[in-house]
Amino acid sequence: MVKIFVVDNGGQWTHREWRTLRDLDVETKIIANTTSYTDLVKEDINGLILSGGAPRIGLKTILGNIDQYLEKANFPILGICAGHQYMAHFFGGIAKPSKKPEYGKIELIITKDNDIFKGVPKKSIVWESHNDEVTKLPHNFICLAKSESCKIQAMKHKNKLFYGLQFHPEVEHTEYGKLIFKNFIQLCKE
Amino acid sequence: MFKAKKFIEITINNLKKEISGKSLIAFSGGVDSTVCAALVYKAIGKNLVAVHVDTGYMRKNESNEVKELMKKMKLNFRFVDASKEFYNALKDVYDPEKKRKIIGEKFIRVFEKVAKKEKIEYLVQGTIAPDWIESGGELRDTIKSHHNVGGLPKSMKLKLVEPLRDLYKDEVRNIARELKLEISEKQPFPGPGLAVRIIGEASPERVDVVREACFIVEEEINKAVKKGIMKQPWQYFAVLLPVKSVGVHGDQRAYGDVIALRSVESIDAMTCDYSKIPHDILDKISTRVTNTLKEKVNRVIYDITNKPPGTVEWE
Repeated sequence: MVKIFVVDNGGQWTHREWRTLRDLDVETKIIANTTSYTDLVKEDINGLILSGGAPRIGLKTILGNIDQYLEKANFPILGICAGHQYMAHFFGGIAKPSKKPEYGKIELIITKDNDIFKGVPKKSIVWESHNDEVTKLPHNFICLAKSESCKIQAMKHKNKLFYGLQFHPEVEHTEYGKLIFKNFIQLCKE
Repeated sequence: MFKAKKFIEITINNLKKEISGKSLIAFSGGVDSTVCAALVYKAIGKNLVAVHVDTGYMRKNESNEVKELMKKMKLNFRFVDASKEFYNALKDVYDPEKKRKIIGEKFIRVFEKVAKKEKIEYLVQGTIAPDWIESGGELRDTIKSHHNVGGLPKSMKLKLVEPLRDLYKDEVRNIARELKLEISEKQPFPGPGLAVRIIGEASPERVDVVREACFIVEEEINKAVKKGIMKQPWQYFAVLLPVKSVGVHGDQRAYGDVIALRSVESIDAMTCDYSKIPHDILDKISTRVTNTLKEKVNRVIYDITNKPPGTVEWE
C-alpha cells in the first residue's frame, strides 16, 4: 500500500486532502508541520502533501519544519495553495498578494503537458481560494498551468518530483481533482 | 473507500469501550445527531438519554416531528422547551459570532441541567468534520463557530463523545441508509437554527417571518422535486435581511423587508455552487413569499454566490 502523509498548515481543506487519499486507498495521516524530518522518514512514506492554510505563509513566515522536508526529501511532494507558495519561496521564487485574488470557480489552462495532469483536458474547472500567489518562479522550476488572473497555477521542479498547485484538487467541485490525485499517487508509487 | 458497514461495526465496539455509564445525546433530529444516536443506542441501549431542545429557532412544526422520531426510534428521550431562555439571551445581539457562542453555551447549560438531575457523565454529539474545521483553532482560522465545537463553553463538566468527527455529510448519509433511518436524505439545518437566518437581532417577531419564508421555500422546492422539474438541492432556505425596500401593494406604497433565497449544491459542504433553479419555480417562491408575508416582506432576491467565496448560511 502506498503511504502519503498530509502536512497540516491550517487549511480549510487539509482534512479533504486526507479524505481524498483515503478514498483512493492510500495509507494516510494528517501530521503537524512541526514534525521533524527524522520522525517523518521513520514512517517510510512514499510521498507528502503540503496543505494550504490561512496564515500568509507564502510570504515571510517560516512554516514549521517544511524547510527540512523540501531540502532533504527524496520522495515526491505536492504543495497545494499556501503549500505551493511556500515551496516556490523556499527555492528562491517570490510569493506576493494577488492583484486579483481568486475564490471559487475558475478556468484552469494547462500550458505544458506533465504526468501530474495526465488525462486532464487543456481547459477545466478548478476551485480556488487564495489571497496570495507565486509571482516569480524559482529558477529550477517550470510552469505547467495558468488562469486568467494568475500566471502560475501549477509548477514542477526540473529534477525532482516536487509539484506546486495554486488551485485545490482535493475539493469535489474541482472537475479533475481526483484524477490529479491519482496521478500524484502514481508518481509516488514509481 | 469509506465503508458504512465496517464503520458501524468498529464504532459500536469503540463506543462500548469508551462509555461507561449514562450518556446524553444532543438530539436535533438532523442526519448527524440521529445517526449518532442510533449508533450509541446500539452500543449502550437505554443508558442513552436523547435530549431535544426546542430553541425557538426551529423550523415550522420541526420539534414535534423530532419528538415523533425519538419515539419511533424507541429512544429514552427528554424534550426541553427553552425558547424563552434562548430569545432572552439573544436580545439585542447582532454579531453572528456572538449569536453562535451564546447559543452554544445555552445548549450546554440545558444539557448540564438534565445531566446533573439524572447523573449523566457523557455528552454525545453528532459533530462532523466541517464543524471542527470551520470552528478553527491553532493554525486554522475561524470561519464560523459551530455551536457544538467553537460554541462550547470553556468550563464544561461533561465528557465529550463524538464518533462522527472524521466524517462528512455524504458519509453520514451512507451510514443512515445502511441503518435504514428515515432522515437519511434530510437537508442540513444549522444547530443555531433560524437565529443565523436572521441577519441582525433574532427577535421572536423576525423568527416568525423567516420561519414562514423557509417553510414556503422548502415546500415549493419539494413540490418541484417530486414533479421531476428539478433535483433536490443540497440545502435550500430563506434568509431575512436587515434591509428595507420600497414596493407597491394595491396602489399603495409599501416599505418592507427583503428575503434572500439561498439554495446550493454540494457533496460535503466544503465547496458549493448555487442551484440553477428553473425560473418558474423562482417565480412561484417569490410570489408566494411576498403575498403570504405581505405585511412584512415585499422583495425576494436570489443568492448566486458559490462557496468559496460565500458560505452556505449567511452567518
